[in-house]
Amino acid sequence: MRIIVYGCGQLATSAVRELAAEDDEVTVIGTDRNRLERLSDSPKVSAELLAAPAMQDYLLSAGVSHADAFLALSDDDHENLLVAQIALHMFNVPHVVCHVEHPQLHMMYTGLGLNVVGYSRGILQDIRHVITG
Amino acid sequence: MYVVIIGCSEAGFYLARTLVASGHEVSVIEQDLERYQLLTEDLGIMAVLGDGSDTDVLNQAGTGRADVVAALTGVDATNLVICQTVQHIYQTPRTMTLLKDPKNEAVFIQLGINVVVNWIQLALTALEEGIPGHPLRHLMNLKRSGLQLVCVAVPPSADIVGRRLGEIELPPDSFISLVVNRERAALPSGSYVVQAEDELIAVAASGDERVIYDILTGV
Repeated sequence: MRIIVYGCGQLATSAVRELAAEDDEVTVIGTDRNRLERLSDSPKVSAELLAAPAMQDYLLSAGVSHADAFLALSDDDHENLLVAQIALHMFNVPHVVCHVEHPQLHMMYTGLGLNVVGYSRGILQDIRHVITG
Repeated sequence: MYVVIIGCSEAGFYLARTLVASGHEVSVIEQDLERYQLLTEDLGIMAVLGDGSDTDVLNQAGTGRADVVAALTGVDATNLVICQTVQHIYQTPRTMTLLKDPKNEAVFIQLGINVVVNWIQLALTALEEGIPGHPLRHLMNLKRSGLQLVCVAVPPSADIVGRRLGEIELPPDSFISLVVNRERAALPSGSYVVQAEDELIAVAASGDERVIYDILTGV
């Protein structure tokens, strides 16, 4: 599969490594030059350095128009929500996943039909589980 | 009309002041303490200090009864999330924003943001109109299709002068929709012979403006 990963924080970095290890072709878009260089050591990974956040031109040159999956995994909820919706609605990428930390936004965008992932809601459940035994 | 403005640097500030002066009720949500103080203390504008994408702060500003929410934070992603949040949670009848990246216009419109001000595009149009003899002008964006309406003035030296419109090949999805010459404006027919200084109004697929310009003005 041709997969685009937006973001190069810890979550995105580990996702890129795992995907590349599973034989997927990954393009990672991010702002951290050092991290991108380290990631593109792998022959399965190419990198697109972002000079301005969430600009559509960068999505295009990363190949969003023929990607099989788009994963918005940066550390910024709002940016993830923008680029994920661009990938979904403007480029009709078949599989779009968006990482969101904020519990309320997580719920709202799930309701709007976006595939949202995030730890925040799971964490609250885990905490309740620990407290109530 | 009750308007909630989120983000109050230049655009938000003048919008708030103008709306208040014309008798509308305005609340501003501003994150920066200094600007918040300036708004409330010096200008007497109702303001709430805080993050305008946070529903507690939106509630405090009375967003539930707003007729219009204007998201003017200066960050496209945040403005989109704010507009979608108020549409979803408060069913705000009208949302508006100012774009940073002109290319985001289509996605914002598709997601139901009511008024999307593409100021880079507006500035570009104004600039082009200000340059005498500039042969390509953006007239408007056809919002739903992502196409553009452009106007090209044919220079006397252009290769297409004296040729029929039917012979001119434009990129797919682009076509000439109106011909304006000294006497009149007319729907184009394939047999129309192009004259120097005709103005050709064309529908252009986004990104093809340059190609169309070259075809219509090339020597």
